[in-house]
Amino acid sequence: MKHFFIDKYSEIKSPINDLNARAKVIIFFALILLCATTPPNAFLAFGGYYLILSGILLVSKVPLGFVLKRTVVAAPFVLMVTLFIPFMEGGGGSYNLWGLTLHRSGLIVLFNVSVKAFFGVAALTLLTSATPFNELMDGLKQMGVPKIFITTASFMYRYIFVVVNEAMRMKRARDSRNFEGKWIWQTRTIGHMIATLFLRSYERGERIYSAMLSRGYDGEVKSLGKHPIVFKDVVFITLIISLAALLRFSHALTKLISGS
Amino acid sequence: MHHNKAVEIKNLHYKYPDGTMALDDINITIEHGESVALLGPNGAGKSTLILHLNGILRGNGEIKVFGLPVNKHTLKEIRRRVGLVFQDPDDQLFCPTVFEDVAFGPINMGLTKEEISTRVNKALASVELEGFGKRSAYHLSFGQKKRVAIATVLSMEPDMLVLDEPTSNLDPRGRGKIIKILNSLPVTKVVVTHNLNEAAKLCKKAIIMDKGRIVADEDIEKVLSNRPMLEAHGLISS
Repeated sequence: MKHFFIDKYSEIKSPINDLNARAKVIIFFALILLCATTPPNAFLAFGGYYLILSGILLVSKVPLGFVLKRTVVAAPFVLMVTLFIPFMEGGGGSYNLWGLTLHRSGLIVLFNVSVKAFFGVAALTLLTSATPFNELMDGLKQMGVPKIFITTASFMYRYIFVVVNEAMRMKRARDSRNFEGKWIWQTRTIGHMIATLFLRSYERGERIYSAMLSRGYDGEVKSLGKHPIVFKDVVFITLIISLAALLRFSHALTKLISGS
Repeated sequence: MHHNKAVEIKNLHYKYPDGTMALDDINITIEHGESVALLGPNGAGKSTLILHLNGILRGNGEIKVFGLPVNKHTLKEIRRRVGLVFQDPDDQLFCPTVFEDVAFGPINMGLTKEEISTRVNKALASVELEGFGKRSAYHLSFGQKKRVAIATVLSMEPDMLVLDEPTSNLDPRGRGKIIKILNSLPVTKVVVTHNLNEAAKLCKKAIIMDKGRIVADEDIEKVLSNRPMLEAHGLISS
């Protein structure tokens, strides 16, 4: 069974993929931060952020559909929280829609939360798609992310589909023995399967640990990754962040200029 | 300091945590450069025994590897000199990329970056997988995974290879390839297997285990011609 890894497009040759992982982490987190702190009614700025992101997407050659598909995964979570806000009493006037009353302030909250949430998820999706996973981990490690997180994420990346495959094989074996009927009657079987999967993963963990010890593991996963930040990384960071910062603070800037 | 003996084990006993006797008075000697097949039915204690060869398990008894007694001061040196290849390559290959897996041992040995790259490329070449460094182990075929698993210890340039069923679950072509690769490596070898044909192709000597004991330890031809003994220990079926 073949599965797609989150960084399956990271092998594409593109200027974005060639960037240092740390540079990309800095750029994307700065973008998310700037976007998240933008006032809710700065519609132009939001348009600008999405344009920047689209620009990066275009240059990175990661297919748009791939990023969109992964971004909509966040939709239920965002909408569940925000969808009802426009119906609540708030200031700023209201609109009538097929007999329902929508409040302007609530609509702005809905817009604000959704636009920022989707931007964040899309930015992170693009970051992970356009960076080989091991480089991303090396980059985060160099930036001071605790080793335990890096190690956990690396093992998850390596083993998630091994476990998924194990579960699928178990499901097949179960279905081959005429497992049917409503799931509620089968909770016992499902419980056993989960327990078995847990035990197998636990045992695998022990075997992996032995294999690590056999090759001189002493409690710390070391890596060769010493990717220096070079000139083009600095150029990219400066370019993208100053562009986004301009959008973020344009309002304040125009005020400052016209005021003085 | 030169020792002729690669492995010397005297009166080794090992009990599982639940009290089952897994190894019962094991005495074996493996000479430098020798290749030995470790044969026996399922549950005979073969895997448990090989985990003692680099100190992953520590039973009661005396174990010397290349003249070094296995203890916490010698573990690092012993693990460098003994390359243990596990049966399931998914246990052996735990890094995001093949390169990192093969480099794992050399990095822990504290080698320089250039030396590590050289060793990784050399190890991948000797298992006929040049240029596979950037791939994820997950996307390799089973046979390729088995060969990468061998490369992960070859990169440490060990003096002894210990392989737990290196050809299990492989198709005949995959088996042939592994046998060819192993035969081209001029180091001491201990090969755990059920397959008598392959044992004969790879090894000069055979040790047969059953129920945690050594039941035969001699030339492989002698062992293989003793059909009643093979049958008694479940290695051939009538």
